[in-house]
Amino acid sequence: MVFLLILAGSLAGIAAMVVANIYLKPFRPAEIVSLDDAAHRLDIDAVGFQPGEGILAVDGRSALVEERNGERLGLLVARGSDVVIRYLVPGMVRSARLDGQGGVRLSLKDFTFAPVDIPMGQTRLARQWADRLNDLQEG
Amino acid sequence: MDVPVWLESFKPIYWAIPVFTILIFAEMIYGKISGRARFEPHDSAASLVMGLGNTVASVLFGGLTTAWFFVVYEFHVFDIGFAWWVWPVALVLDDFVYYWSHRFAHTVRWFWADHVVHHSSQHYNLTTALRQPWFSVLTLKWMWLGSILILIGFHPLVIATVGALNLIYQFWIHTEAVGKCPSWFEAVMNTPSHHRVHHATNPIYLDRNYAGIFIVWDKMFGTFQPELEHEACRYGVVKNLGTYNPLVISVHEWLGIIQDINRAPTLKAKLLYLLAPPGWSHDGSRDTSRQILSRWQQKQAVKDPQTDPGHSPAE
Repeated sequence: MVFLLILAGSLAGIAAMVVANIYLKPFRPAEIVSLDDAAHRLDIDAVGFQPGEGILAVDGRSALVEERNGERLGLLVARGSDVVIRYLVPGMVRSARLDGQGGVRLSLKDFTFAPVDIPMGQTRLARQWADRLNDLQEG
Repeated sequence: MDVPVWLESFKPIYWAIPVFTILIFAEMIYGKISGRARFEPHDSAASLVMGLGNTVASVLFGGLTTAWFFVVYEFHVFDIGFAWWVWPVALVLDDFVYYWSHRFAHTVRWFWADHVVHHSSQHYNLTTALRQPWFSVLTLKWMWLGSILILIGFHPLVIATVGALNLIYQFWIHTEAVGKCPSWFEAVMNTPSHHRVHHATNPIYLDRNYAGIFIVWDKMFGTFQPELEHEACRYGVVKNLGTYNPLVISVHEWLGIIQDINRAPTLKAKLLYLLAPPGWSHDGSRDTSRQILSRWQQKQAVKDPQTDPGHSPAE
Protein backbone atom coordinates (compact mmCIF):
# COMPACT_ATOMS: atom_id res chain seq x y z
CA MET A 1 0.00 0.00 0.00
CA VAL A 2 2.78 2.40 0.97
CA PHE A 3 4.59 1.53 -2.25
CA LEU A 4 1.48 2.25 -4.34
CA LEU A 5 1.13 5.63 -2.63
CA ILE A 6 4.78 6.39 -3.37
CA LEU A 7 4.23 5.32 -6.98
CA ALA A 8 1.17 7.55 -7.38
CA GLY A 9 2.96 10.45 -5.71
CA SER A 10 5.99 9.96 -7.95
CA LEU A 11 3.83 9.96 -11.10
CA ALA A 12 2.14 13.17 -9.96
CA GLY A 13 5.56 14.65 -9.18
CA ILE A 14 6.90 13.70 -12.60
CA ALA A 15 3.89 15.25 -14.33
CA ALA A 16 4.30 18.44 -12.30
CA MET A 17 8.02 18.66 -13.08
CA VAL A 18 7.49 18.14 -16.81
CA VAL A 19 4.70 20.75 -16.87
CA ALA A 20 6.98 23.18 -15.02
CA ASN A 21 9.70 22.38 -17.55
CA ILE A 22 7.36 23.16 -20.47
CA TYR A 23 6.11 26.33 -18.80
CA LEU A 24 9.48 27.68 -17.67
CA LYS A 25 11.31 26.64 -20.87
CA PRO A 26 14.80 26.70 -19.36
CA PHE A 27 16.36 25.73 -22.68
CA ARG A 28 16.87 26.94 -26.25
CA PRO A 29 15.97 24.60 -29.14
CA ALA A 30 19.11 23.43 -30.89
CA GLU A 31 19.84 24.89 -34.31
CA ILE A 32 22.51 24.15 -36.87
CA VAL A 33 23.23 27.65 -38.13
CA SER A 34 25.35 26.84 -41.18
CA LEU A 35 27.17 24.07 -42.99
CA ASP A 36 30.37 25.32 -41.34
CA ASP A 37 28.68 24.89 -37.99
CA ALA A 38 27.68 21.35 -38.99
CA ALA A 39 31.23 20.55 -40.13
CA HIS A 40 32.67 21.99 -36.92
CA ARG A 41 30.34 19.86 -34.78
CA LEU A 42 31.31 16.74 -36.75
CA ASP A 43 35.00 17.54 -36.44
CA ILE A 44 34.75 17.86 -32.67
CA ASP A 45 32.51 14.81 -32.29
CA ALA A 46 34.53 12.49 -34.51
CA VAL A 47 37.89 13.95 -33.42
CA GLY A 48 38.75 14.66 -37.02
CA PHE A 49 36.26 14.99 -39.85
CA GLN A 50 37.26 16.57 -43.14
CA PRO A 51 34.04 17.99 -44.62
CA GLY A 52 33.16 17.72 -48.26
CA GLU A 53 29.85 18.54 -49.88
CA GLY A 54 26.86 19.00 -47.62
CA ILE A 55 23.35 20.30 -47.25
CA LEU A 56 21.66 22.18 -44.43
CA ALA A 57 17.93 21.68 -43.91
CA VAL A 58 15.94 24.85 -44.52
CA ASP A 59 14.70 24.80 -40.90
CA GLY A 60 18.26 24.49 -39.53
CA ARG A 61 17.28 21.35 -37.61
CA SER A 62 19.31 18.84 -39.60
CA ALA A 63 22.26 18.59 -41.99
CA LEU A 64 24.13 16.07 -44.07
CA VAL A 65 27.87 16.47 -44.67
CA GLU A 66 29.91 14.08 -46.74
CA GLU A 67 33.44 13.31 -45.59
CA ARG A 68 36.01 14.52 -48.11
CA ASN A 69 37.37 11.01 -48.70
CA GLY A 70 33.81 9.78 -49.30
CA GLU A 71 34.04 7.16 -46.55
CA ARG A 72 31.03 8.30 -44.56
CA LEU A 73 28.21 10.78 -44.49
CA GLY A 74 27.76 12.83 -41.33
CA LEU A 75 24.12 13.24 -40.29
CA LEU A 76 23.24 15.87 -37.71
CA VAL A 77 19.75 16.18 -36.27
CA ALA A 78 18.61 18.68 -33.67
CA ARG A 79 16.53 17.00 -30.98
CA GLY A 80 15.29 19.26 -28.22
CA SER A 81 18.16 21.47 -27.19
CA ASP A 82 20.87 19.15 -28.49
CA VAL A 83 22.22 17.77 -31.72
CA VAL A 84 22.50 14.03 -32.29
CA ILE A 85 25.05 12.76 -34.80
CA ARG A 86 25.38 9.60 -36.85
CA TYR A 87 28.09 8.67 -39.36
CA LEU A 88 26.37 6.87 -42.20
CA VAL A 89 28.23 4.09 -43.96
CA PRO A 90 26.93 1.36 -46.29
CA GLY A 91 24.33 -0.80 -44.56
CA MET A 92 23.05 1.85 -42.17
CA VAL A 93 20.19 3.37 -44.17
CA ARG A 94 16.79 1.69 -44.20
CA SER A 95 15.14 4.13 -46.59
CA ALA A 96 15.26 7.71 -47.83
CA ARG A 97 11.99 8.82 -49.40
CA LEU A 98 10.93 12.10 -50.98
CA ASP A 99 8.27 13.76 -48.85
CA GLY A 100 6.68 15.56 -51.80
CA GLN A 101 7.54 18.98 -50.37
CA GLY A 102 11.18 19.22 -51.35
CA GLY A 103 12.46 17.18 -48.48
CA VAL A 104 13.62 13.68 -47.52
CA ARG A 105 12.26 11.36 -44.86
CA LEU A 106 15.19 9.30 -43.66
CA SER A 107 14.98 6.05 -41.67
CA LEU A 108 18.06 4.29 -40.36
CA LYS A 109 18.60 0.65 -39.40
CA ASP A 110 19.25 1.96 -35.92
CA PHE A 111 16.41 1.61 -33.46
CA THR A 112 17.93 4.28 -31.22
CA PHE A 113 17.46 6.88 -33.93
CA ALA A 114 13.90 7.90 -34.79
CA PRO A 115 13.11 8.64 -38.49
CA VAL A 116 13.90 12.21 -39.43
CA ASP A 117 12.48 14.71 -41.95
CA ILE A 118 15.08 16.81 -43.73
CA PRO A 119 13.38 19.71 -45.58
CA MET A 120 15.65 20.84 -48.41
CA GLY A 121 13.40 23.32 -50.18
CA GLN A 122 13.90 21.87 -53.68
CA THR A 123 12.67 18.56 -55.06
CA ARG A 124 15.75 18.24 -57.31
CA LEU A 125 18.11 18.55 -54.36
CA ALA A 126 15.98 16.23 -52.26
CA ARG A 127 16.06 13.59 -55.01
CA GLN A 128 19.86 13.84 -55.32
CA TRP A 129 20.37 13.38 -51.59
CA ALA A 130 17.74 10.64 -51.34
CA ASP A 131 19.60 8.73 -54.06
CA ARG A 132 22.90 9.24 -52.26
CA LEU A 133 21.37 8.03 -49.00
CA ASN A 134 19.68 5.04 -50.62
CA ASP A 135 23.10 4.00 -51.95
CA LEU A 136 23.97 3.34 -48.30
CA GLN A 137 21.25 0.71 -47.84
CA GLU A 138 23.40 -2.26 -48.74
CA GLY A 139 26.20 -3.15 -46.34
CA MET B 1 23.39 -10.17 16.86
CA ASP B 2 20.07 -8.26 17.10
CA VAL B 3 19.29 -5.73 14.39
CA PRO B 4 18.33 -2.32 15.87
CA VAL B 5 14.56 -1.80 15.51
CA TRP B 6 14.93 1.58 13.77
CA LEU B 7 17.17 0.07 11.10
CA GLU B 8 14.59 -2.50 10.01
CA SER B 9 12.20 0.20 8.75
CA PHE B 10 14.74 2.90 7.81
CA LYS B 11 14.44 3.79 4.09
CA PRO B 12 16.55 6.93 3.51
CA ILE B 13 15.66 7.05 -0.21
CA TYR B 14 11.95 7.49 0.60
CA TRP B 15 12.81 10.43 2.85
CA ALA B 16 15.01 11.91 0.15
CA ILE B 17 12.42 11.85 -2.67
CA PRO B 18 10.51 15.00 -1.55
CA VAL B 19 13.84 16.84 -1.16
CA PHE B 20 14.89 15.71 -4.66
CA THR B 21 11.61 17.05 -6.07
CA ILE B 22 11.99 20.45 -4.39
CA LEU B 23 15.59 20.76 -5.56
CA ILE B 24 14.66 19.89 -9.17
CA PHE B 25 12.02 22.64 -9.18
CA ALA B 26 14.54 25.05 -7.65
CA GLU B 27 17.15 24.17 -10.29
CA MET B 28 14.62 24.69 -13.09
CA ILE B 29 13.73 28.13 -11.79
CA TYR B 30 17.40 28.96 -11.30
CA GLY B 31 18.08 27.77 -14.84
CA LYS B 32 15.34 30.01 -16.19
CA ILE B 33 16.69 33.03 -14.32
CA SER B 34 20.43 32.52 -14.72
CA GLY B 35 20.78 30.31 -17.79
CA ARG B 36 23.17 28.12 -15.78
CA ALA B 37 21.00 25.00 -15.88
CA ARG B 38 19.48 23.46 -18.97
CA PHE B 39 16.31 21.36 -18.96
CA GLU B 40 14.37 20.00 -21.94
CA PRO B 41 10.87 18.57 -21.32
CA HIS B 42 11.30 15.30 -23.29
CA ASP B 43 14.68 14.66 -21.72
CA SER B 44 13.44 15.47 -18.21
CA ALA B 45 10.39 13.24 -18.68
CA ALA B 46 12.58 10.37 -19.90
CA SER B 47 14.98 10.75 -16.96
CA LEU B 48 12.19 10.90 -14.39
CA VAL B 49 10.37 7.89 -15.86
CA MET B 50 13.66 5.99 -15.83
CA GLY B 51 14.00 6.85 -12.14
CA LEU B 52 10.50 5.66 -11.39
CA GLY B 53 11.07 2.44 -13.35
CA ASN B 54 14.26 1.88 -11.36
CA THR B 55 12.26 2.10 -8.13
CA VAL B 56 9.72 -0.42 -9.46
CA ALA B 57 12.55 -2.73 -10.56
CA SER B 58 14.11 -2.47 -7.10
CA VAL B 59 10.86 -3.72 -5.59
CA LEU B 60 10.45 -6.48 -8.20
CA PHE B 61 14.01 -7.79 -7.96
CA GLY B 62 14.72 -6.63 -4.41
CA GLY B 63 13.57 -9.92 -2.91
CA LEU B 64 16.12 -11.85 -4.94
CA THR B 65 19.07 -9.62 -4.07
CA THR B 66 18.07 -9.32 -0.41
CA ALA B 67 17.76 -13.09 -0.10
CA TRP B 68 21.21 -13.46 -1.66
CA PHE B 69 22.77 -10.95 0.74
CA PHE B 70 21.33 -12.77 3.77
CA VAL B 71 22.57 -16.10 2.44
CA VAL B 72 26.06 -14.60 2.04
CA TYR B 73 25.82 -13.13 5.57
CA GLU B 74 25.43 -16.66 6.92
CA PHE B 75 29.09 -17.15 5.98
CA HIS B 76 30.44 -13.81 7.28
CA VAL B 77 33.98 -13.81 8.63
CA PHE B 78 33.79 -11.19 11.42
CA ASP B 79 30.95 -10.19 13.78
CA ILE B 80 31.06 -6.47 13.11
CA GLY B 81 27.67 -5.56 14.56
CA PHE B 82 26.04 -2.14 14.75
CA ALA B 83 28.31 -0.02 16.98
CA TRP B 84 28.52 3.70 16.13
CA TRP B 85 31.96 3.36 14.49
CA VAL B 86 30.67 0.71 12.11
CA TRP B 87 28.70 3.32 10.16
CA PRO B 88 31.54 5.64 9.04
CA VAL B 89 33.76 2.64 8.33
CA ALA B 90 31.01 0.99 6.28
CA LEU B 91 30.34 4.24 4.41
CA VAL B 92 34.00 4.62 3.40
CA LEU B 93 34.46 0.95 2.49
CA ASP B 94 31.19 0.89 0.56
CA ASP B 95 32.37 3.95 -1.38
CA PHE B 96 35.63 2.15 -2.14
CA VAL B 97 33.67 -0.83 -3.51
CA TYR B 98 31.43 1.63 -5.39
CA TYR B 99 34.51 3.15 -7.07
CA TRP B 100 35.56 -0.22 -8.49
CA SER B 101 32.05 -1.28 -9.36
CA HIS B 102 31.58 2.01 -11.21
CA ARG B 103 34.95 1.68 -12.94
CA PHE B 104 34.00 -1.80 -14.17
CA ALA B 105 30.66 -0.35 -15.29
CA HIS B 106 32.58 1.86 -17.72
CA THR B 107 35.24 -0.58 -18.84
CA VAL B 108 33.36 -3.87 -19.28
CA ARG B 109 30.60 -3.74 -21.87
CA TRP B 110 28.35 -6.20 -20.03
CA PHE B 111 28.24 -3.81 -17.08
CA TRP B 112 28.18 -0.74 -19.35
CA ALA B 113 24.97 -2.06 -20.94
CA ASP B 114 23.31 -1.33 -17.62
CA HIS B 115 25.14 1.86 -16.63
CA VAL B 116 24.90 3.55 -20.05
CA VAL B 117 21.30 4.39 -19.17
CA HIS B 118 22.51 6.87 -16.55
CA HIS B 119 24.83 8.54 -19.09
CA SER B 120 22.39 8.63 -21.99
CA SER B 121 21.16 12.18 -21.47
CA GLN B 122 22.87 15.04 -23.29
CA HIS B 123 21.75 17.26 -20.42
CA TYR B 124 23.31 17.53 -17.01
CA ASN B 125 20.83 18.53 -14.37
CA LEU B 126 19.29 17.01 -11.26
CA THR B 127 16.87 14.89 -13.31
CA THR B 128 19.91 13.19 -14.85
CA ALA B 129 20.75 11.84 -11.37
CA LEU B 130 17.43 9.98 -11.42
CA ARG B 131 17.96 8.50 -14.91
CA GLN B 132 18.73 5.01 -13.64
CA PRO B 133 18.62 1.56 -15.25
CA TRP B 134 15.82 -0.96 -14.90
CA PHE B 135 17.70 -4.19 -15.40
CA SER B 136 20.75 -3.84 -13.14
CA VAL B 137 19.98 -7.27 -11.75
CA LEU B 138 21.22 -8.72 -15.07
CA THR B 139 24.78 -7.57 -14.45
CA LEU B 140 25.03 -10.02 -11.50
CA LYS B 141 27.54 -7.60 -9.93
CA TRP B 142 25.50 -7.74 -6.73
CA MET B 143 26.44 -11.41 -6.38
CA TRP B 144 30.14 -10.68 -5.92
CA LEU B 145 31.15 -7.00 -5.70
CA GLY B 146 27.96 -6.13 -3.84
CA SER B 147 28.50 -8.99 -1.41
CA ILE B 148 32.15 -8.45 -0.40
CA LEU B 149 31.49 -6.27 2.63
CA ILE B 150 28.69 -8.56 3.76
CA LEU B 151 30.99 -11.54 3.54
CA ILE B 152 33.54 -9.65 5.65
CA GLY B 153 30.88 -9.19 8.30
CA PHE B 154 28.91 -5.99 7.75
CA HIS B 155 25.19 -6.67 8.20
CA PRO B 156 23.21 -6.46 4.91
CA LEU B 157 21.02 -3.70 6.37
CA VAL B 158 24.10 -1.63 7.22
CA ILE B 159 25.37 -1.99 3.65
CA ALA B 160 21.93 -1.24 2.20
CA THR B 161 21.71 1.91 4.32
CA VAL B 162 25.17 3.28 3.53
CA GLY B 163 24.61 2.36 -0.14
CA ALA B 164 21.44 4.42 -0.12
CA LEU B 165 23.27 7.32 1.56
CA ASN B 166 25.92 7.08 -1.16
CA LEU B 167 23.25 7.40 -3.87
CA ILE B 168 21.57 10.28 -2.02
CA TYR B 169 24.90 12.11 -1.80
CA GLN B 170 25.39 11.73 -5.55
CA PHE B 171 22.09 13.43 -6.35
CA TRP B 172 23.25 17.01 -5.74
CA ILE B 173 26.43 16.67 -7.81
CA HIS B 174 24.41 16.30 -11.04
CA THR B 175 24.16 20.00 -11.77
CA GLU B 176 25.74 22.80 -13.76
CA ALA B 177 24.29 25.33 -11.32
CA VAL B 178 27.15 24.85 -8.84
CA GLY B 179 30.60 25.91 -10.05
CA LYS B 180 33.58 24.86 -7.95
CA CYS B 181 33.31 24.23 -4.20
CA PRO B 182 35.96 25.35 -1.66
CA SER B 183 39.33 23.82 -2.53
CA TRP B 184 39.52 21.62 0.60
CA PHE B 185 36.14 20.14 -0.33
CA GLU B 186 37.10 19.64 -4.00
CA ALA B 187 40.27 17.88 -2.80
CA VAL B 188 38.47 15.19 -0.82
CA MET B 189 34.86 14.96 -1.91
CA ASN B 190 33.11 14.25 -5.19
CA THR B 191 31.60 17.54 -6.36
CA PRO B 192 29.47 18.85 -9.24
CA SER B 193 32.67 19.92 -11.02
CA HIS B 194 34.31 16.48 -10.71
CA HIS B 195 31.15 14.69 -11.73
CA ARG B 196 30.52 16.95 -14.74
CA VAL B 197 33.84 15.64 -16.03
CA HIS B 198 32.61 12.09 -15.46
CA HIS B 199 29.49 12.69 -17.56
CA ALA B 200 31.33 14.50 -20.36
CA THR B 201 32.25 12.96 -23.70
CA ASN B 202 35.17 15.26 -24.47
CA PRO B 203 38.04 12.85 -25.16
CA ILE B 204 40.14 14.17 -22.27
CA TYR B 205 37.24 13.58 -19.87
CA LEU B 206 36.27 10.07 -21.01
CA ASP B 207 36.37 7.38 -18.30
CA ARG B 208 37.50 9.70 -15.51
CA ASN B 209 36.26 10.45 -11.97
CA TYR B 210 34.43 7.27 -10.99
CA ALA B 211 34.04 8.33 -7.36
CA GLY B 212 30.77 8.14 -5.47
CA ILE B 213 31.33 10.27 -2.35
CA PHE B 214 35.12 10.59 -2.02
CA ILE B 215 37.16 11.73 -5.03
CA VAL B 216 40.31 10.45 -3.30
CA TRP B 217 39.84 7.01 -4.88
CA ASP B 218 40.32 8.50 -8.36
CA LYS B 219 43.42 10.32 -7.17
CA MET B 220 44.78 7.10 -5.66
CA PHE B 221 44.11 4.93 -8.71
CA GLY B 222 45.03 7.39 -11.49
CA THR B 223 41.60 8.16 -12.90
CA PHE B 224 41.22 11.74 -11.68
CA GLN B 225 40.73 14.59 -14.12
CA PRO B 226 39.85 18.12 -12.96
CA GLU B 227 37.36 20.18 -14.94
CA LEU B 228 39.27 22.54 -17.22
CA GLU B 229 38.15 26.11 -17.88
CA HIS B 230 39.06 25.91 -21.57
CA GLU B 231 37.31 22.56 -22.11
CA ALA B 232 33.58 22.95 -21.58
CA CYS B 233 31.83 19.64 -20.90
CA ARG B 234 29.73 18.04 -23.65
CA TYR B 235 27.41 15.54 -22.04
CA GLY B 236 26.01 12.19 -23.09
CA VAL B 237 27.64 9.15 -24.63
CA VAL B 238 29.99 8.78 -27.58
CA LYS B 239 27.04 7.68 -29.76
CA ASN B 240 24.11 9.66 -28.42
CA LEU B 241 20.59 8.32 -28.57
CA GLY B 242 18.15 9.85 -31.04
CA THR B 243 15.12 8.92 -28.95
CA TYR B 244 13.50 9.70 -25.61
CA ASN B 245 11.69 6.34 -25.43
CA PRO B 246 12.43 4.94 -21.93
CA LEU B 247 12.22 1.32 -23.08
CA VAL B 248 14.74 1.93 -25.87
CA ILE B 249 16.97 3.81 -23.42
CA SER B 250 16.75 0.82 -21.06
CA VAL B 251 17.57 -2.00 -23.43
CA HIS B 252 19.50 -0.50 -26.35
CA GLU B 253 22.97 -1.57 -25.25
CA TRP B 254 21.81 -5.05 -24.20
CA LEU B 255 20.32 -5.50 -27.69
CA GLY B 256 23.48 -4.07 -29.22
CA ILE B 257 25.53 -6.73 -27.43
CA ILE B 258 23.22 -9.49 -28.67
CA GLN B 259 23.44 -8.18 -32.26
CA ASP B 260 27.23 -7.96 -32.08
CA ILE B 261 27.58 -11.45 -30.59
CA ASN B 262 25.40 -12.86 -33.36
CA ARG B 263 27.59 -11.22 -36.01
CA ALA B 264 30.94 -12.04 -34.36
CA PRO B 265 33.00 -14.48 -36.45
CA THR B 266 34.76 -16.31 -33.60
CA LEU B 267 34.06 -17.42 -30.05
CA LYS B 268 36.80 -15.08 -28.81
CA ALA B 269 35.15 -12.13 -30.56
CA LYS B 270 31.77 -13.11 -29.06
CA LEU B 271 33.28 -13.09 -25.57
CA LEU B 272 35.05 -9.80 -26.16
CA TYR B 273 31.76 -8.16 -27.25
CA LEU B 274 30.61 -9.00 -23.74
CA LEU B 275 33.74 -8.33 -21.71
CA ALA B 276 35.92 -5.85 -23.64
CA PRO B 277 35.54 -2.10 -23.11
CA PRO B 278 32.59 -0.38 -24.82
CA GLY B 279 33.50 0.54 -28.40
CA TRP B 280 35.63 -2.55 -29.01
CA SER B 281 34.82 -4.31 -32.30
CA HIS B 282 36.38 -7.31 -34.02
CA ASP B 283 36.89 -5.38 -37.27
CA GLY B 284 38.09 -2.12 -35.73
CA SER B 285 35.09 -0.24 -37.07
CA ARG B 286 34.42 1.45 -33.72
CA ASP B 287 36.53 3.21 -31.13
CA THR B 288 37.07 2.62 -27.44
CA SER B 289 37.58 5.59 -25.09
CA ARG B 290 41.33 5.01 -25.16
CA GLN B 291 41.42 5.07 -28.96
CA ILE B 292 39.38 8.28 -29.04
CA LEU B 293 41.67 9.89 -26.48
CA SER B 294 44.76 8.76 -28.33
CA ARG B 295 43.45 10.26 -31.61
CA TRP B 296 42.55 13.49 -29.82
CA GLN B 297 46.03 13.72 -28.26
CA GLN B 298 47.65 13.23 -31.66
CA LYS B 299 45.44 15.95 -33.10
CA GLN B 300 46.30 18.29 -30.22
CA ALA B 301 50.00 17.59 -30.65
CA VAL B 302 49.80 18.56 -34.34
CA LYS B 303 47.77 21.68 -33.54
CA ASP B 304 50.01 22.90 -30.73
CA PRO B 305 53.18 20.87 -30.09
CA GLN B 306 54.01 22.98 -26.97
CA THR B 307 50.82 22.14 -25.11
CA ASP B 308 50.43 19.16 -22.82
CA PRO B 309 47.49 17.30 -24.36
CA GLY B 310 46.42 15.80 -21.03
CA HIS B 311 46.60 12.41 -19.40
CA SER B 312 47.94 9.44 -21.30
CA PRO B 313 45.58 6.62 -22.26
CA ALA B 314 47.70 4.25 -20.22
CA GLU B 315 46.83 6.01 -16.96
